[in-house]
Amino acid sequence: MRKSKFLTPLFFLLPALILMVPFVIYPVFKTVYLSFFLDDKFVGLENYKNVLLSPDIVNLDRFPNKSPPWGALIHNVVWIAIHLPATVFLGLGIALLLRRKEIKGASIIKSIIFLGMVIPMIVGGLIIRFLFEEGAGVIPAIFKALGIEGLAITWTAYPKTALFAAILGSIWIWTGFSMLMYSAGLASIPKDYYEAALIDGANRFQIFKNVTWPLLKPITIVVVAMTLLWDLKIFDVVYVATGGGPGGASMVLALQMWDYFARALNYNYAAVVAVLLTTLTLIPALWLIRRRD
Amino acid sequence: MKAGKMLFSFLLVGVLAVAVVASGCIGGETTTQTTTLEQITLKVIGPWSGAELDAFNEVIKEFEAEHPDIKIEYKTYRAEDLSTILPLQFESGDTPADLIFMWGWFIADMGTKGHVMELGQIINPNEYVPGILDTVTVDGKIYGAPFTAAAKPGFWYRKSFFEEHGLTPPETWDEFVKLLEQIKQIPGIKAPIVSGDSVGWPLSDVTEHFIMTFGGAELQQKLINGEVKWQDPQVRSIFEERLVPLLEAGYFSDPIEWTSAVELWWKGEYALYFMGTWLTGMVDDPTDLGLISLPGVKAMVLAPDYFMVPKYTSHPDEALELAKFIATEGQRIHVGTSSGKLATWKEVTMDDYWEPMKDVAKVVANVESAPDLDDSVGGEWQKAFWDQLKLLWVQPDRLDEVLKTLDEKFPKE
Repeated sequence: MRKSKFLTPLFFLLPALILMVPFVIYPVFKTVYLSFFLDDKFVGLENYKNVLLSPDIVNLDRFPNKSPPWGALIHNVVWIAIHLPATVFLGLGIALLLRRKEIKGASIIKSIIFLGMVIPMIVGGLIIRFLFEEGAGVIPAIFKALGIEGLAITWTAYPKTALFAAILGSIWIWTGFSMLMYSAGLASIPKDYYEAALIDGANRFQIFKNVTWPLLKPITIVVVAMTLLWDLKIFDVVYVATGGGPGGASMVLALQMWDYFARALNYNYAAVVAVLLTTLTLIPALWLIRRRD
Repeated sequence: MKAGKMLFSFLLVGVLAVAVVASGCIGGETTTQTTTLEQITLKVIGPWSGAELDAFNEVIKEFEAEHPDIKIEYKTYRAEDLSTILPLQFESGDTPADLIFMWGWFIADMGTKGHVMELGQIINPNEYVPGILDTVTVDGKIYGAPFTAAAKPGFWYRKSFFEEHGLTPPETWDEFVKLLEQIKQIPGIKAPIVSGDSVGWPLSDVTEHFIMTFGGAELQQKLINGEVKWQDPQVRSIFEERLVPLLEAGYFSDPIEWTSAVELWWKGEYALYFMGTWLTGMVDDPTDLGLISLPGVKAMVLAPDYFMVPKYTSHPDEALELAKFIATEGQRIHVGTSSGKLATWKEVTMDDYWEPMKDVAKVVANVESAPDLDDSVGGEWQKAFWDQLKLLWVQPDRLDEVLKTLDEKFPKE
């Protein structure tokens, strides 16, 4: 009896497991294996030392006093520091706003905001590129109209603005996700809770603080974790919008890995960055799994 | 019944066999045989699409007409994408095509690794522009062949624009700078020169033109070989005294996407555009095009499209036949189209050229040709070069840092 309980699920899992070995498990082990070799010679942690100490990854000579490049790892951290709170709170704010009865056409507005999530990321990158291009894009035009000439430039061409152009653009792309999640979360909160709070004399802020926000906690955990994962593995948007430049000013880890792999044909260094990236993405992933449990 | 049918079948087959043998014997020399032509398909990968592909298709059409037993299937892939695909496919003994256009340095690299057929049997080096095969030759073995080449001869302008504003092409460096200042004063002009961008190569082309004008082909070759550093005084002076002052004076625009730049330049928002000869096929009226090389130019990049025949082709003989055609007669056909390319095979004459390209071909013929710098070095450095130039274009004061990075990233061997 016990044997069959074990064998039946295994039987159904077997096709997936068989496919996972060559396509997932073997490449993972091979990547880790490659990261310890250089020109077929075992070098221990030498590759890790070279990559992590390279200004391509961490450039403390420029960070934070000078304009980027600050290194791909720092760029990812900056990305998270700006993109994560911006998308979470913007998504929440829009979801709360569009819930109000006096807002007409809320579903249409939601669809427009969600458009960023629907389009292919390559197209998103192209849109970002042109959005920030002087003479073509709306962002430099706005700054020009405001008389801020320093920002009425092609953002993707300048080291001081290229990274921020990519981050701001990706906020537009990703806000649709958090807005949708929060909209669903808000719809699931029973109206009775709000009615009870109103009867108790709570004001809008107190209702948000004591009713809405705590009940949205599971949604927030998912949004934060998913956004973190997205921020860490960001590639396509940067590749198209800035190419990681100028002068590496908007380089991120995933793009650096691709550069090592496809440009320098240095599979060992690429493997090191891949291991680093996987380790970093595992942290929010495991955190998400634990919180959900 | 069943046995009877079988016996009848054997009998019939036997009779037919005897008849066939007999007809062969009786017929002798006067017998005519009808054979069905077996058509094979060769796959070709190249970088072209749109109008450029139309021009290449003229070459393919001619080859297919001469070889009815071979059909060509063409796929467009950028070299950047191929560089990620091919090493892995070759390592596994496979190839996505029978003939592949790719960077010269990449072909040489794959050749030394044993993935590419030697083309010494179909390429006679004496029939080609001197030095053109160097990039694809390793230890005397020719791994790639050149097709037509794009030259990067200088700054293009619209003759009608110059006439309208009373501008004349410069003869000296001072006149060149004066011209830029004159253009800058024209109302509606955003910058005298539009800087093309995308992955970064247009900026490298301009830079190489400055290097070759003030340092010659020899300096370009030494930089390619790593014999001269980027921080070398000779190289530094070209940047410091020639290119950087123009950037600081605002004569170049910010880097903008290079095909959009064509339109803006043609519309008159910019007056000059440094681009390869393929530009002639991208504008509405090629006869309105004028060309300004930097005064005193000593050499120009002649960048051919190289191709290779992977060892893993299923049709080696036919692939070599196609390779030979593309490297020779195919060039004659190609320069006759609006491809904006120049022949690297010396048998092509001036009469074979498309009319708007004849003047350009004459200009290029009068200067020394040099290989494309970043395409020759390749690898991670190529990307670093493009990226650092983008930085220099918007922050020319960071020249020291740019030159240092270019030295640091240069391949060690």
